[in-house]
Amino acid sequence: MKSPLIKATLIFLLLSFSLQTQAMEPREIIQQSAHEVLTKINANRADYEANPEKLIQLVDDVLMPWFDDVYAAKLILGRHGRGVPAEKIQLFASAMQDLLVERYANSMLGFVSKDQLEVLKLRGKNTEKLTRVRARIALANNQWVPVEYSFHKVGDMWKMFDVTAEGISYIITYRNQIGPMVQADGIDAVIENLRSGSVKLKD
Amino acid sequence: MKIKSPHQFLSILFCVFLLSACATSGPVSDPENDPWEHYNRSIHKFNTGFDKALLKPVTSSYRKIAPKPIRKGLGNFLNNLAYPNTILNLLLQGQFRKALISTERFIFNSTVGIFGIFDVASNAEIPLHDEDLGQTLAVWGWDNSRYFVLPLFGPSTVRDGVARLGNKYFDPVTYLATEENIWSPWVLDKLHVRIRLMNQEEMINSSYDPYTFIRDAWLQNREFKIYNGDTPALDYEAFLEN
Repeated sequence: MKSPLIKATLIFLLLSFSLQTQAMEPREIIQQSAHEVLTKINANRADYEANPEKLIQLVDDVLMPWFDDVYAAKLILGRHGRGVPAEKIQLFASAMQDLLVERYANSMLGFVSKDQLEVLKLRGKNTEKLTRVRARIALANNQWVPVEYSFHKVGDMWKMFDVTAEGISYIITYRNQIGPMVQADGIDAVIENLRSGSVKLKD
Repeated sequence: MKIKSPHQFLSILFCVFLLSACATSGPVSDPENDPWEHYNRSIHKFNTGFDKALLKPVTSSYRKIAPKPIRKGLGNFLNNLAYPNTILNLLLQGQFRKALISTERFIFNSTVGIFGIFDVASNAEIPLHDEDLGQTLAVWGWDNSRYFVLPLFGPSTVRDGVARLGNKYFDPVTYLATEENIWSPWVLDKLHVRIRLMNQEEMINSSYDPYTFIRDAWLQNREFKIYNGDTPALDYEAFLEN
């Protein structure tokens, strides 16, 4: 080794590499990503408020690598996804994910300080098929909004596939919206609708 | 017949709806939780119309007239006035420790918080509980109840509709209205409930089917309250097939 600087850099690189490849536990994933998003929002609040697309990009970059969009899409479609080719499921999954990110980004903007999302201890039965990370978000009036993130293990990586706020699950709520839409108009029209804006009103 | 009180008017309206709703039939989207979907949808439609014509405009004016600090104080006052309902139901559910904490909250807010106008208990981190007779009936074993939209009051189940009838013995706000004919806290409370819904309005209106959206969200949230936040895990695997 020629200089201590190179040595230090090498050690640092090795260390960060091993940290990245090490499988992160569901609680850490939520803790870390929420912390990152909220810290950045707090540092540049005015900018994010003026440019919602930047916020969406931030949530996309930080949180979405942990999101199993295709599995979530299959859960939402249920029997309506039977026989649908994989590339169409992927298209639908991406469109649904964009909708989720938009909603999530908007709600994150409402939180003032980074300490306002508190990850709680795991409770109940948690398996590789389903581990529920409970957290709570503080509101301005001293009340808490309970949230829950559902994870499952894919290979050696934990992936999130559902978010629940005050008991209301993203998957369940959208299942009953999307199912009848697919039945009425077909999956292509639904993908198109999702991309062109949000889910359209029935009448 | 002379209608003496709003309460009587509501009862009559309710009976009219029950009779008119028997006329429709056909397939429903969630036979297990919502076998009365046709009836429910017609009441939902009526409620939406009522909201558009009266409730929302009145709520919006109230919001404009009353400045935020005043609304906040009034909201705190109403929540505190209704809080014995939670304490009684905690007792009925055998949650004595929580009932004690809730009593402490009520006394603290009623005195230091000046009749509940200031929610000093929340600032002191005394936990807020949320119980009612419907949840108590669920804890006692009536845990599965079909979805049942009430005229004017909106989402409910048969169980929670029945529980509402008992409210006058539990909830001081309802007691004042029905027994003492003091309706202003009751009306004000409904306006405050409506204001809280304003945030969700955009999401509801942009959904494909607002009726099922409200139903599914309400039923899930209700279960969450019954289980005090500890809902059993969902059977996600089954969703793949259904």
